[in-house]
Amino acid sequence: MDPIQLLIICAQAGMLVNLMLIAAAYMVLAERKVAAWIQGRVGPNRVGPWGLFQSFADVFKLYLKEDVVPAAADYKFHALAPIISIAVAITIYAVIPWSGPLVTIDGHSYGLAMAPQMNVAILIILAMTSVGVYGVALAGWSSNNKYSLMGGLRSAAQMISYELSMGLAVIGVVLISGSLNLVEIINSQIANGWNIMYQPVAFLIFFVTSLAETNRAPFDLPEAEPELVGGYHTEYTGMKFGLLYLAEYASMLAAGAIMATLFLGGWDMIPFVDEAALLGLAPDSIPMVVLGHITFVSKALLMVFVFIWIRWSLPRFRYDQLMNLGWKVLLPLALANIAVTGICLLLFG
Amino acid sequence: MPQLIIDGRVLEVEPGKTIIEAAFENGITIPHFCWHPALSPDGNCRMCLVTVGAHKKDSDGALLYGDDGNPEVSWFPKKQIACATPVTDGMIVDSISKETVETQNAVMEFLLINHPLDCPICDEAGQCKLQEYALVHSKGKSRFDEEKVAKDKRVQLGPNIIFDGERCISCSRCIRFADEVAKQPVLTFVGRGDKVTITTFPDTTFDSPYSMNVIDICPVGALTSMDFRFKARVWEMSFTDSVCPGCARGCNISIGVMNNEVLRTEPVTNMHVNNYWMCDHGRLAVPTIVNNNRTSGPMIRRDGVLESVTWDEAIAATVERLKSFKPQEITILGSSLASNEDNYLLAKLAKEQLQTSNIDYIQHLSHDFGDDMLRVNETAPNAIGAHTAGIAVGTNGHGVAKLVDRIKHGDVKVLVVLEDSLDDFSDELAEASAGVEALIVLTSHTNLTAKQASILLPTTVFAETEGTFTNIHHRVQHFSPAVVTKDNERLMTMKQSRWDKFGAPNDRWSSGEKRDARPAWKIIQALCVGLGANYAFGSSGDVFNDMAHHLSGFKDMSYPSLKKHQGLILGKGNSPEKEEEVYQSHVMKPA
Amino acid sequence: MANVKTNTEAQRLTFWERIYLPEIARGMGLTFKQMLQPTFTRQYPEERWEPEGSYRGRPVLVLEDGKERCVACGLCSRVCPALAIEVRAAETTDDKERYPEKFEINMLRCIYCGFCEEVCPEEAIVMSKDYELVFGSQEEGILGKEKLLVPVAQLRDRLEFLRQWK
Repeated sequence: MDPIQLLIICAQAGMLVNLMLIAAAYMVLAERKVAAWIQGRVGPNRVGPWGLFQSFADVFKLYLKEDVVPAAADYKFHALAPIISIAVAITIYAVIPWSGPLVTIDGHSYGLAMAPQMNVAILIILAMTSVGVYGVALAGWSSNNKYSLMGGLRSAAQMISYELSMGLAVIGVVLISGSLNLVEIINSQIANGWNIMYQPVAFLIFFVTSLAETNRAPFDLPEAEPELVGGYHTEYTGMKFGLLYLAEYASMLAAGAIMATLFLGGWDMIPFVDEAALLGLAPDSIPMVVLGHITFVSKALLMVFVFIWIRWSLPRFRYDQLMNLGWKVLLPLALANIAVTGICLLLFG
Repeated sequence: MPQLIIDGRVLEVEPGKTIIEAAFENGITIPHFCWHPALSPDGNCRMCLVTVGAHKKDSDGALLYGDDGNPEVSWFPKKQIACATPVTDGMIVDSISKETVETQNAVMEFLLINHPLDCPICDEAGQCKLQEYALVHSKGKSRFDEEKVAKDKRVQLGPNIIFDGERCISCSRCIRFADEVAKQPVLTFVGRGDKVTITTFPDTTFDSPYSMNVIDICPVGALTSMDFRFKARVWEMSFTDSVCPGCARGCNISIGVMNNEVLRTEPVTNMHVNNYWMCDHGRLAVPTIVNNNRTSGPMIRRDGVLESVTWDEAIAATVERLKSFKPQEITILGSSLASNEDNYLLAKLAKEQLQTSNIDYIQHLSHDFGDDMLRVNETAPNAIGAHTAGIAVGTNGHGVAKLVDRIKHGDVKVLVVLEDSLDDFSDELAEASAGVEALIVLTSHTNLTAKQASILLPTTVFAETEGTFTNIHHRVQHFSPAVVTKDNERLMTMKQSRWDKFGAPNDRWSSGEKRDARPAWKIIQALCVGLGANYAFGSSGDVFNDMAHHLSGFKDMSYPSLKKHQGLILGKGNSPEKEEEVYQSHVMKPA
Repeated sequence: MANVKTNTEAQRLTFWERIYLPEIARGMGLTFKQMLQPTFTRQYPEERWEPEGSYRGRPVLVLEDGKERCVACGLCSRVCPALAIEVRAAETTDDKERYPEKFEINMLRCIYCGFCEEVCPEEAIVMSKDYELVFGSQEEGILGKEKLLVPVAQLRDRLEFLRQWK
């Protein structure tokens, strides 16, 4: 690999990480705004116009906070846990095809995506979500606090349970698209129509499990305030808490982007329509790629909005209900979905 | 002896008693304002109206009984006052039937007609007989629409008493007290009807040494104390039973404390000591003794100046001085102002640890303090106790009488003084005491001797610790701690007001001064331990039990038994007086 | 338990309710509609709220003719469930005989229950409309007479309310 290429990739990575962190911070603002609207309030409106700089104020404040570590905590793991959480979320961004290639330098083309052509992208995603458990479980365990530990344990149990259904739901998509490469999957959707039309059940399962994997309501048992004070992040302060908090929103955005990729046709604007031909542009031309990127991000953000909307609409599940849903409903449903998909492919494919 | 029935109970009482006395002796309380067992019956408040009757007889003289077995009664047509109607044989009295109570309620309504709604500004509120009866015998609403009568308020009847004419219900308890108990008949009613009020005769003032007792017996807030006036509401204070240290009579008292400050003193009825009364001197002296001019924190004289030191330093320095002199060079003065326990341990220190026989105490005698009522010439509370506890000159020892000469000859190197100020004995002694090498002073007040001390060990006063005094009639009486010091920090037995209970450190109303003083016995025990003894008394009670074990006078006595019997006579620890009903004017018994 | 009539979730719900999804959609629809409704928020420091006479704000002492009505009876202090009030009385030559030499309300203890106002025999302590209570220290939270005394003219609403409804 030549040095220029390395430099460009590094710059690209830096830009992506920063963009995504800012996006995550803004999602916190979005969450507060949506919550406010649903509750008939205004929401943050004091920092900047419509409260737009609230996110910066929040992060700035978190940086200035004292970092309190409980005396009985395991300091190394206590510090490591938030790093794992945020790192996992950001790693997933690397394989997400944010856009097609925008520029070509020295015969290499670069877009906003870091490694769109990776042929095991889906496996990376599933692997990374599994590693995400460590962040939460370690945070809970190393705090040496009963509430934190309970939150961490719940989180571990929940994530392991729902990972199964999530993986199985993705298999339906893989069966149809015939590839683990995300760009390939998008291209197959542009050609054949969005996967949500063929795999509605898989989409539903994936959506529900994504909620659970990101510890979002109604599956936010690891941080259930009424029972567990703050759950796994009870003993975190300052920017360590900030990282755990941002990781949740970063994962949310990642989940939204993955759903956009797997089920909602990626950067395809309208299913079954060749937009490039309609607009009279070449499919790889810059305006088309930018339009595609905007489409992709809009789809991801729409999913994020639904996540937030759900949080302020539905009450939290009880732990046994959570397990029942995961093992007795979603898992059989996902298995059935694979079987039906396989049979249909055999018969009509 | 006449036999009568009150409220269905058959009672036998001595002839000549009134109905209310007969009832009281048998535990039945008939509502009353003007009656007081120590005063002659007056019968003017009319509150004790009861229905009286006689057993019906048939023409043969046989007693008639109803179908239910109860006697048939021919009731007198009018109600009688229980306080002035003597009992007769066969009398039947009813004080609780609906009709009787309605009569009493009607009397109450009359009494309340002109009584002003002064409760918010009245010192009596909260322990007012009228308030208490208003709860039971009044509807809580007045039918009286007219103007209440205006009379003189804030009239000074004597140097310590202020009179409010409007609140007065004209029961005449104060007039009878002045006439019969204080023997200073200067109070009288003037005016008639609703204009009646109380005043002193021209050119007289009610300044008897017992005048302030009228404040206690006044059933309303008409007579209040100049000294206490508006200092606190009754419910804001905690009241602890104690013994007056004003003279050797040892009147039983109750100490009212708020925010760690003694605000007032009231007599507690003890028929064997002070009846219902106490003298004004004691009443006014107690708050002064506890609150004013106190020592706080141990001190050692260095380069001629008293410097504050820690307790451990002070005790160690004292022990060192005591060790460095021969026994006969040490003279120890116990005190008739200190408790039995303090004196007992001091005597132990002298006899068992230091082996000195120079041990004595200063007498406090006055020629004109005593009278024929309560006050006695012995003005310290515990001379008998100090002597009994072992403060007496030993064989070959020297007492306080020769002390001045011996100091001047250089025979006294160390002088240990408990509580007393040496100038109480003679100014010569006070002057001479500057000549000893070590003047070790255990005292609660910054008196002359405290100022001269080489080592000053602050002690608690009677109101800050548990202990006993032995009065002039050899009665050992118990007192409880009422005020918090740094040392006792709320003993389990201490009475607490609402403020004490719920105050937090940052509340201004619970931040009263806590003095750094310790009970003398505790200090003396530390000295004894420093000298090699193995005493381990944890509380005053332990010391007292040790006394009861070793001294024949205190045999069979203990704090619980002293409290139960309101004191026991020396040597008669197992034969207390017969218990009788104790009259408490302002306490209504629960129905 | 055999004879207890059970009414389990499964028995109460219809089939569609039991699979949740339509009900979830209904709930989400409700919250979405709510998002489009106008908000109720008052822009506080700019838009202020003037409470009614029935409002129980900071307790204050009524100042009438240059003097407090209070006679320092201590009933407010006694009834206060949070022990927020301390009153010390002293004698005055006025008709009322006594006045509060010291009257302190610890606003950090006060729970705004209004018992002090209810028990007051002189209508001397009332709940004001003052709801903006910020202190820089614990000591500042203890209000003395100088901060508690409020002229009767400013308390008309509350006194009116008390006479009418209490």
